[in-house]
Amino acid sequence: MSEPEASTAMRNADDPFLARLQEAVGRPGPVNVARDPVNQPMIRHWADIIDDANPCYVDPDAAALSVHGGIVAPPTMLDVWDKAGVQMRRDGASPVGAVIDVLDAAGFTSTLATNSDLEMTRYLRPGEVLESVARLESVSPEKHTAIGRGHFVTWRTDYATVEGEHVGSVLFRMLKFAPGTGRVDGPSAAGAHGAGAAPPPDPDPSRRPRPAINADNQFFWDGARAHELRIQECNACGALHFPPSPRCRDCGSFSMGFRVASGRGTLYAWAVPHHPQVNGFRYPVLTGLVELEEGTRLVANLVAMAREHIRIGMPLELCWLDSHPALEPGAIDSRGPITLPQFRPVRPARCESTRSVTELEVGDELALCPIPVSATLIVGGALMTRDYFDVHHDRDLAQRRGSRDIFMNIHTSLGLSQRYLSDCLGPETVFRDIRVRLGVPNHPGDTMTMSGAITALDRATGEISVSFRGTNETGDHVTGTAALVLPGGSEHDAIRAASAAAHAEREARS
Amino acid sequence: MTAHAYAGRTAIAGIGATEFTKFSGRSELQLALEACVAALDDAGLEPKRVSGLTTFTMESNPENEVMRGLGITELTHFSRVHHGGGAPAGIVQLAAMAVNEGVSDYVLCYRAFNERSGRRFGSGVQDQPAGASAEQAQFSWTSPYGLLTPASWIAMFASRMMHEHGVTSEDFGRVAVTCRAHAATNPKAHFYNRPITLDDHQSSRFICEPLRLLDCCQESDGGQAILVTSLERARDLRQPPGVIAAAAQGMGDDQQMMRSWFRESLMGLPEMAVCARQLWETSGLGPNDIATAVLYDHFSPFVLPQLEEFGFCAPGEAKDFIRSGEIALDGRLPVNTHGGQLGEAYIHGMNGIAEAVRQVRGTAVNQVAGADSGHVLVTGGTGVPTSALILSNDR
Repeated sequence: MSEPEASTAMRNADDPFLARLQEAVGRPGPVNVARDPVNQPMIRHWADIIDDANPCYVDPDAAALSVHGGIVAPPTMLDVWDKAGVQMRRDGASPVGAVIDVLDAAGFTSTLATNSDLEMTRYLRPGEVLESVARLESVSPEKHTAIGRGHFVTWRTDYATVEGEHVGSVLFRMLKFAPGTGRVDGPSAAGAHGAGAAPPPDPDPSRRPRPAINADNQFFWDGARAHELRIQECNACGALHFPPSPRCRDCGSFSMGFRVASGRGTLYAWAVPHHPQVNGFRYPVLTGLVELEEGTRLVANLVAMAREHIRIGMPLELCWLDSHPALEPGAIDSRGPITLPQFRPVRPARCESTRSVTELEVGDELALCPIPVSATLIVGGALMTRDYFDVHHDRDLAQRRGSRDIFMNIHTSLGLSQRYLSDCLGPETVFRDIRVRLGVPNHPGDTMTMSGAITALDRATGEISVSFRGTNETGDHVTGTAALVLPGGSEHDAIRAASAAAHAEREARS
Repeated sequence: MTAHAYAGRTAIAGIGATEFTKFSGRSELQLALEACVAALDDAGLEPKRVSGLTTFTMESNPENEVMRGLGITELTHFSRVHHGGGAPAGIVQLAAMAVNEGVSDYVLCYRAFNERSGRRFGSGVQDQPAGASAEQAQFSWTSPYGLLTPASWIAMFASRMMHEHGVTSEDFGRVAVTCRAHAATNPKAHFYNRPITLDDHQSSRFICEPLRLLDCCQESDGGQAILVTSLERARDLRQPPGVIAAAAQGMGDDQQMMRSWFRESLMGLPEMAVCARQLWETSGLGPNDIATAVLYDHFSPFVLPQLEEFGFCAPGEAKDFIRSGEIALDGRLPVNTHGGQLGEAYIHGMNGIAEAVRQVRGTAVNQVAGADSGHVLVTGGTGVPTSALILSNDR
């Protein structure tokens, strides 16, 4: 008996409940045959909701010319095909199902997926029927986590075609926890600032200093209230000015109007205040001097990005923060409602021609990509991955279970991560594996910004490793790694050859 | 440009200061009076002989109270300069002009505050009422976004400087390390005997990235006064005169108050270039004539473009000048030999003028060889409408 096993046995002797949970560890479940073959309609729904325009999933002509030789399923759909339907009847014979039943009965009724590691032997094609076997890998002793007391349950599912060809596996971990047992934010936050220290500032933006609004800048703040970024323009000579002035410094005219900015710009300089901390802000505060494409500059907050994403020259686009309600009804001066321009990264154009490994280096950064999180994305993403847990589609029930709102399921996070990587590197990027860990939830209204970098690279084979993360305002929603194959090395050609051979074999059979 | 009329004909005849602390334990008015009395004692002049007062618009002590406290019975000149720390050489220039015009024989320039134990500038502008004057409206472009403090405004320039000129946080740190090294041997400095290393700088916390705590000057309680009179009268007083060889104020194109971010370039300091041009042209001097300089150091990054604007090095090369040790005591241009505002105290630049006087007298704790027979440059606040002057020994 190895040391960890020995300590587990000792603990289990003291803890009959844990022993019961761990009874089935290592035991495979029954064979689960997918109800439907891999099919184009589900792929199309998935690609629609994930907003993945990769033609290899939906365009037969483009797919035929690709490394895959024909339509393939998105790799992160691997564990969608064998999922149960909305009735979610749990197979009592499955060790995983049995453990979950025990935990539910013991009050650990809430579920949070935390990890999913997908390994793909090859991509799946429409018409293939999968079967899977799940094996319970571990059940943790009770843990006190931020969201509650519970047990981590980990299992591995192996996937094969019904003909018996292994095609991939998924290592999945979830936390089964007792609702309402999470840590309260207050004490820990205050503790971090030390005894007697001032409490952290209230980040409610209505507590920010209000702008001083007068006859010279009224047009700007009126425009902001209408979500229109106005640049002062001289009515006589057309010169643009920021900050505004009653008189055109170029031609001397007192006739001043404005032009509405496109909202596109680049970062010219930045500053990130840490101290002193005042109400209205979440520290550190990201601020930028943005050079608009019209040529003038202005200061605004940088949103949907983290400190380490700041790069002078990065493209930015305008968004708005309705920061302050009116102090007096009808007021249009400083006491009126205030709206502030903000700037966020721009979703990069999809890479249509897959990058060659020869043009990349370890350390290369992938472009930032903001992903607006809507209720449609969360609900659609859950349903398209056959995930019917109520917290992903029913706000009332999600709130009753202690969430602020519905939140994104792990399959959608995986799908978005996959889309991000192939949009950055190209449609014929081949996934060997993708491993994600979830952190803070994605709720409707959040923006998750993806970032990533190349961490390893083999020029001979074309295999690369990337790390990536998706961050929203409260922290990392998803962090992960992926092993990918790009053109320019031996492996991509090998995959192309294997795809062609498989295709020819299928043709011959039919 | 011909010399200004007062240049070479007026002088600083006395300097006086309180101790520099973090808690003075007395009123700002008392600090002002103590500093003025000290300056008069230094010169050996009866307070009643003073007939002019100049100070900053930010000064809380009105001229009438200072006059009463000093026992002055008549004032014929009193004037102020706006824009915060940009004023110090400006109020000396005002005094010199008043003296040279015959408006006033002896003018005291003063600045005193409890800037650490009272209202701290570093706490920012968030408590200011949202008025709607043109001056208050300037804050509308920055305050709602969280840029509330001088550190945050300078940080915006610093990030661009790092991007465009390849300056690093370590370069900023070298400025701080140099000033603290000079303060370490100055008994009047708050940081006397407390030098820092570059590692100390690099491990100090961020105040506003890219600025670290040790890039930021101190906040201080204290007062500093300077007595200005004609060179001829100065020769009759107790101390050797610090001759005002040149003085200048400057605002540059599209000037803003520490937030001139809308100019074509954020590199350099156009307002300081206006001062530099006047100083060189009116005095006939050049960078090679300067033995030592007191360069305004509220935040370390802006020491770099000052070196460039005055021609001590080429644009973009200040980082190299600093890396090769040229601003240290044994360098080509020792800078802030008293420790600067990073090391001695933050008295809105007025203590820097006093240090220049000590250098031309030959009495500085870190005396630079040749300064007492040469010329010393002093600058006012950076990033704001500013001022600068050159002092020379009387010979």
